[in-house]
Amino acid sequence: MAENQTNDGTVAMTSWQLNGQEVENPTGMTIMEAAKEHGIEIPCFCYHPGLSIAGNCRICMVESNRSRKPVISCSEKIADGLEIETESELAVSSRNSVMEFQLINHPLDCPVCDKAGECTLQDHSYEHGPDRSRFVEDKNIRHTKELGPNISIWGNRCIVCTRCIRFCDEISGTSELCIVERGDRSVVDVFPEIPIDNQLAGNTVDICPVGALISHDFKYEARVWNMDRKDSVCGGCSRGCNVEVETLDGFVKRLMPRENLEVNDWWMCDEGRYGWRHLYADDRLSQATRDGTALADDSATAALEQLLSESGPVAFLIDPFLTCEEMHLVQGLAASRPGSSVGGWLPEDGIAANFPSGFKISAAKYPNRAGAEHIFGDQVFGNDATELQKALVSSDFNTVVAFCGGHLSSGPGESWAKALSSTPTSIIFSVKSGPWLEGASLVLPATAPIEKDGTWINEDGRLQRTRSCWNPGTEPFSVELVRLQTLQNALGIRGRSLSAAGIFRELAANNDSFAGHNHSDLGSPGLLLSERPAGIAMDGGSE
Amino acid sequence: MTFRKILTQHIAEDDCHTLSFYQRNGGYSQAQKSLKEDQPDDLIELVKAANLRGRGGAGFPTGVKWSFVPKSSDKPKYLVVNADESEPGTFKDRVIMEKNPHLLLEGILICCKAVNIQTAYIYIRGEFVFATQRLQQAIDEAYEAGILGNDCLGSGLSIDVTVHRGAGAYICGEETGMLTSLEGDRGQPKLKPPFPAIEGVFGCPTVVNNVETLANLPYILEIGAEAYCAIGPEKSPGPKLFCVSGHVENPGTFELPMGIPLRKLIDEHAGGVWKGRKLKAVIPGGSSAHVLTADECDVAMDIESLTAAGTMLGSAGIIVMDDSTCMVDALVNLMRFYHHESCGQCTPCREGTGWLEKIVHRIAHGDGRMEDLDLVLDVCDRMVGKTICALADAAAFPAQSFVTKFQDDFVAAIQNGGSPAWKKRHPSAVGGTASHG
Ligand SMILES: Cc1cc2nc3c(=O)[nH]c(=O)nc-3n(C[C@H](O)[C@H](O)[C@H](O)COP(=O)(O)O)c2cc1C
Ligand code: SF4
Ligand code: SF4
Ligand code: SF4
Ligand code: FES
Repeated sequence: MAENQTNDGTVAMTSWQLNGQEVENPTGMTIMEAAKEHGIEIPCFCYHPGLSIAGNCRICMVESNRSRKPVISCSEKIADGLEIETESELAVSSRNSVMEFQLINHPLDCPVCDKAGECTLQDHSYEHGPDRSRFVEDKNIRHTKELGPNISIWGNRCIVCTRCIRFCDEISGTSELCIVERGDRSVVDVFPEIPIDNQLAGNTVDICPVGALISHDFKYEARVWNMDRKDSVCGGCSRGCNVEVETLDGFVKRLMPRENLEVNDWWMCDEGRYGWRHLYADDRLSQATRDGTALADDSATAALEQLLSESGPVAFLIDPFLTCEEMHLVQGLAASRPGSSVGGWLPEDGIAANFPSGFKISAAKYPNRAGAEHIFGDQVFGNDATELQKALVSSDFNTVVAFCGGHLSSGPGESWAKALSSTPTSIIFSVKSGPWLEGASLVLPATAPIEKDGTWINEDGRLQRTRSCWNPGTEPFSVELVRLQTLQNALGIRGRSLSAAGIFRELAANNDSFAGHNHSDLGSPGLLLSERPAGIAMDGGSE
Repeated sequence: MTFRKILTQHIAEDDCHTLSFYQRNGGYSQAQKSLKEDQPDDLIELVKAANLRGRGGAGFPTGVKWSFVPKSSDKPKYLVVNADESEPGTFKDRVIMEKNPHLLLEGILICCKAVNIQTAYIYIRGEFVFATQRLQQAIDEAYEAGILGNDCLGSGLSIDVTVHRGAGAYICGEETGMLTSLEGDRGQPKLKPPFPAIEGVFGCPTVVNNVETLANLPYILEIGAEAYCAIGPEKSPGPKLFCVSGHVENPGTFELPMGIPLRKLIDEHAGGVWKGRKLKAVIPGGSSAHVLTADECDVAMDIESLTAAGTMLGSAGIIVMDDSTCMVDALVNLMRFYHHESCGQCTPCREGTGWLEKIVHRIAHGDGRMEDLDLVLDVCDRMVGKTICALADAAAFPAQSFVTKFQDDFVAAIQNGGSPAWKKRHPSAVGGTASHG
């Protein structure tokens, strides 16, 4: 496959010169990629590692001994004997020229531009641009208009890099975007009557190097440098796209995909991207109640202790939104109440989608089915919800603890509500309020996926670390991880509370599937459960 | 040896465009023989030996270009004939297509034989409605007569020719822009490499040749490489169509041997500068070529001589300007064209063409500043050689040479509050009031 693979399986290398130094890189690399390996970052606008090469912005021009004219390093490949200068007079003046051209018609409305602070044009301008303009003419005006339900184009800012167009052609395969007009009137548009409205559309805003594509959701919401960022994983489906959750003063403002070539490349779907709105939905449950009466947070934990310490065998109803760590705590609780059992329901399957680029959306609209199966066994989730409900009604459990975590799911449904209310003591952790909470003995607000700290296992069996969008200690209410450990402490099955990483260590020590793994070795691409981190003994505490 | 017209010999005759006329005058005999008897490689060698240079503008050796096409490829190969003819000042391919379309078709057959091609497209600019009709008539006749289609001229080869009309864009004359347009996309050039010979239209090996280039092939087969090389300078020989427009008494398309002196072309063939005026400037090779001053016009019209004179033969569109011409106004006109026609994908061309037009326009309209002259040259420097296709260079070359060679006109426009024509129309305008910067 790779053009640098030799017959004996080694990687063929090319020797070339970079700024006077002899260097080597795998054959077939572009100058830009290869230079980066030697610590030289050549600026780019139109280049994006996930898209085809357009070579139109010309900012990446460098001097080559093979060409009279400067060459573009995003497309030109390294070759034996090639000599490249990135800082020669020609290279520098070519770069400066492109910057001057990019800026002459640009409105420079950074103070009101959502991209400011993460704008490639700003960054390159600072480094390579002129400090004043020689352009005394009137600037061109291009259209500002809605392109679709979530996206608008601010044409004056567009640098015509065509990243967004290539995205729709190559990644989503929907081809809604195009350039209209020519020359310096060129601007991105949609075809008449066909808005950009595909499942991946939001990514075009991320990859727009400037503030030309604007997300309605984020418009004027925050200055990007003021936001806090957390590396999280989207819980919208079993793909588990890596995301960055950005918050301002304790409010989520935006989700952005985080590069993970094993899972989501550079992308995420719109359902996941805009899903955070559910955190602030009107039906979000924020108040603990005991038999319908509001409880303070501490008293809620106390009530939980009281109910469980008095209970006989408990039916734990889990859902695939819990992290592995939370599940491990549930398992500990179940083991401490003899006769207890753990089962669960799965929200109904959604629709899967496969895109030409290989990007996938899973039909399983929850993040951690695989984790539950590794912890509780393959049979933990019945595929027939009514079966489970019947079992619950006919059994002699007098206490049920249910987790109702899916912020996207509409709740467990009517039959479940009935089953729960027919059990003498029902304790429900729920993200949303809804009819299933009626008649419950104790209702506890639960955390939504991006609020959780822990690990999930995606549909490929990849163990991934997700971090809560909140800073430690600023959660609006106790997370399950804390609440369940406090409970375990009170019931005498645990001595002290641990972090998510500590709980995971316990899990890894007690469950062969997880043996050898730990949070700190997961890194950003995560690890397949079957590939343990290097240097860890395989018997890593299986007893 | 006296020069014999090959491309336009009969164009005064009423029915010169018909198949019967063409065949009566020996037409298709070269293709007939070649399709049956010649080996493709021998044809390529012949065209190389004849030093046939592309007539589209770049002057690339045609035989060499053909030899880049892979001999064995599991993909089909294509010939795309560049009939976009959109370089300002150029109207030569049109004459061939309107008056001698079968000559082009015969050239196409020979090229297809040499490169093993079965499908040819003629990409013709949309404005050429009459030429399109003539071409289509000729193609229909040729199919009817068994010259095109299956078993062309009894050779057993099958060659199809399709005319494809463009929508009228200069950039669709640039070869990769043309191929993109032919594929049905927005006409804009592609990154090279890969070159069309390796990966052209529909991702397949493609020969791109200009109409006039192909129209030379039957004659090369007829007289052989040596005799062909004897017509004009050896390195760029052959009969050539020169389009003369502008301030001459007798504008038109003239078929003459390569290397004809420019002055002779203007004075003897085009009837000299009109109205008894004096020559001021000549653009020798389509608007993208550097302009020549009257003093520089003692030059031979061939590729090497014009390159040595710091300009180019280009498309051989010769635009003659007399001494009443204001070079500022002329340049505004050219810059408006390039600004309008830039496809807009490369930053230096997209922004540079617009900027140049705005500056020159401002100078012509009385708001020029002395520093604008350096600015124009600097903007040009920042465009040349930094883009995907040569349109940016094509826009910069006239700007550079107009401003340097006719600086007086520009200085006068700056100092007098605009070009003479502008002043005449706006007598009360006060010049030199530019308060920018
Ligand atoms: C901006 C631009 C416009 C061009 N327009 C034409 C054209 O109208 N007709 C043409 O034959 N070649 C045109 N060319 C040249 C073609 O790219 C190409 O070199 C030529 O068609 C090759 O044919 P030839 O080798 O037979 O000359 C243009 C080139 C550029 C850069
Ligand atoms: S796109 Fe970038 S440079 Fe332009 S206004 Fe926005 S932040 Fe500023
Ligand atoms: S809208 Fe943004 S991504 Fe699209 S072409 Fe313009 S600058 Fe590039
Ligand atoms: S040089 Fe100009 S016309 Fe050519 S590809 Fe670039 S922008 Fe388009
Ligand atoms: S990054 Fe290379 S041309 Fe745009």
